[in-house]
Amino acid sequence: MTLLRNRLWLVTLTALIALFVVNWILQPNLVTPNVLKSNLTVFLPIVLVAIGQTYVVLGGDIDLSVGSVVALVNVVTVSVIAALGGGPGGVMLGMGAGLLTGALCGMVNGLLISGLRFQPIVTTFATGIIFGGLALLVLPTAGLPVPAEYWRTYGGYALGLPVVLWIFIGALIAIAIISRRAFFKHLSAAGGQRTAAFQTGLKVGQIRIMAYVLCGLFAAVAALCLTGETASGDPLMGRMLALSSISAVVLGGTALSGGSGSAFGSVLGALVLGMIGNVIFFAGLPFDYQTLIQGLITLLALAGGVLVSRR
Amino acid sequence: MSPVLEARNITKRFGAVTALSDGSLTVEPGEIHALLGANGCGKSTLSKVIAGTVAPNSGVLRFNGSDIAPRSPRDAEALGIALFYQELSLVPQLSVADNIFLGHERRTAAGFIDAKQLRHDTEALLQRFAGVAGDGFSADAPVSTLAPDQRQIVEILKVLARKPRLIIFDESTAALDRRQVEVFFDILRSLKADGVSSIFISHRMDEIFAICDRITVMRNGVTVTTLTTAETDRDTVVHAMVGELAVPQRFARNSAVAAEPRLVVSQLSSRRLDSVSFDARPGEILGLGGLQGQGQSAVLRSLFGAEPLTDGSVVLDGKTLTLRKPADAIRAGLAYVSGDRGRDAAFHGRSIFENIAAASLVKERRRLVWPNQLKQRFIDAAAALNTKYDGLDAPIGSLSGGNQQKIFISRWLATNSQVLLFDDPTKGIDLAAKADFFTLARGLADQGASIIFYASEDSELLSLCDRILVFNSGAIAAELTGDTLTAFHLTNAAYGKAA
Repeated sequence: MTLLRNRLWLVTLTALIALFVVNWILQPNLVTPNVLKSNLTVFLPIVLVAIGQTYVVLGGDIDLSVGSVVALVNVVTVSVIAALGGGPGGVMLGMGAGLLTGALCGMVNGLLISGLRFQPIVTTFATGIIFGGLALLVLPTAGLPVPAEYWRTYGGYALGLPVVLWIFIGALIAIAIISRRAFFKHLSAAGGQRTAAFQTGLKVGQIRIMAYVLCGLFAAVAALCLTGETASGDPLMGRMLALSSISAVVLGGTALSGGSGSAFGSVLGALVLGMIGNVIFFAGLPFDYQTLIQGLITLLALAGGVLVSRR
Repeated sequence: MSPVLEARNITKRFGAVTALSDGSLTVEPGEIHALLGANGCGKSTLSKVIAGTVAPNSGVLRFNGSDIAPRSPRDAEALGIALFYQELSLVPQLSVADNIFLGHERRTAAGFIDAKQLRHDTEALLQRFAGVAGDGFSADAPVSTLAPDQRQIVEILKVLARKPRLIIFDESTAALDRRQVEVFFDILRSLKADGVSSIFISHRMDEIFAICDRITVMRNGVTVTTLTTAETDRDTVVHAMVGELAVPQRFARNSAVAAEPRLVVSQLSSRRLDSVSFDARPGEILGLGGLQGQGQSAVLRSLFGAEPLTDGSVVLDGKTLTLRKPADAIRAGLAYVSGDRGRDAAFHGRSIFENIAAASLVKERRRLVWPNQLKQRFIDAAAALNTKYDGLDAPIGSLSGGNQQKIFISRWLATNSQVLLFDDPTKGIDLAAKADFFTLARGLADQGASIIFYASEDSELLSLCDRILVFNSGAIAAELTGDTLTAFHLTNAAYGKAA
């Protein structure tokens, strides 16, 4: 038990390997470059959103608005690209506008919660509705395709490896960097024991806002990836992402009460959620079971966390 | 040499309460200076003003010769003033090393945490307590796995790692054993040799005489005197703390205390209690005294089943009680009245009727309630205390603090409890209501109830109690009766037994 405390992600890793083996048995062509690549393409958005969610949860907060942030970023990006005529410069500006939108959404959440001391759950529930409403204003119906270069690049290869793999590697490097910054310790302190962090002289307010901004940025990157996959705008995109990302964070061993956990664990958690979907599909079970089973496994992970932390 | 710290005529009011009316303190470089006084004398408020956690209303604060006005712990720390926090400054989820250097992490050129340096610095600090810190105390251990004394050592090291010029140690030895205190004193002496000054607050008088150069005594928000330790003695210091107080008016007892104890408590032990034994008789008001947080509340809450006990037995009227939860205590006939009404007693927004009924419903195991059957009983209980209220249906929040407290006492009168546990019950109540409360408590005792009464104000204990148990570090340091029921004896015992 002592070995497992703070290493809950080891359990998740074991589960991931087990699921992978089962999947391989059910789907013999799993370990071929194309199948692995298409799997990664499907999992990447939830992986990215879960990473961002981890920082907010570590700080003792929660972000229920990420799904709507993804939708808003998507429609802003495709609208800006379309408005600028779809050239390479327009695409870059559109992606920039999307990232900025994500960061701003995070900033709004952070300011409301950390600055005005609103309740995180209720606030992000409300801002989620607002961001979703804004997305509908920007693009009332699905459509507005992005230029072919956008999705071809996203689905293609660079330096011999799939672009989606590069993005995944990039995300892993980003979380490795963040976890070695003092910010990460300060964030854990702010989430673990807020009064202690304050009395130690940490700028708790700024730290929590920063976590929300990071969450918004990762959600924006996820939206750009989804845009590469769907190749068009959709104001209702990513509706399930907020709750799945929280499931992934829990599966990855991060405590919902804040203070302990890792973004790497959440990556594993997100992959486990994705693999569950695969296994259900290839085992021939009706797809309707997927949500039910993901929910049960999240509950199991929560129970496991409670059991391990109880002495 | 000019003093490192000079605080003059500091005042601080919290609402209508004046916590500090004339706080003054002068600390020389390299001095270990004790700050002493009874509960509520203002020593904590003065330390918080110096450390920047509380802003004063007026007064002068000078540090190294220049005026300062720290507005946050961060400001004070930047000046070189650090406050040791009794608790709450550690993050349980982080490791010992991360906690000690939180906010002061050494970074590499690229801005990453220098893990190697962090470990090295931490181990150098831990080295000082090597051999006395116990098992499982390492740089990587999460603070959540540490014992209380180990956490206190981490707190001490965390303060030291900030390399301050002035440190306020507020009860920094409370959880340490003798050997650990010795190591801590060695550290204080080496700080002193380096010219670092310390303000030392402790509930153990022996420690103050062992380590401090001078002693500043406070009373009722005013600095009374500063004494040189080598030229004074314990009695002089205690007299300064107590002052020439008029003997508080005593509430005369109108009936004899029974000889046979009703409640016999033996060897109570828990996280905060160290083998506490006493008994309480019918008709008696037994006081629990001493400095705040020495185990008085813990005894009452444990007796009420609200805090776990690791050992000990409680016998009421010859029957041994099992107290796992408050319902056990209620059914056995114990009642608990807390000064923290908002946390422990009030059902906010609910009617007076419901607030009185709570205990009766538990005691009588009622599942369905016909209010009319209970109403008269509650009206009688509230009337017995002269409670002013509009009607049983009015919300509890419509009453003043004093009348609310009467309702919570009525709650227990309605259950006919014979052992009343009063946990600083007059907190935040105006003077008139306090006087009512004393009359009421005395009246209940005269009718045969046993009252165990903890008050943070010494004068309340002295005017009301037949007997006072003085607590220090979770144990009973002294029992005061008859001639020893004086402020001098109470304060003297509160600072530990005379060596």
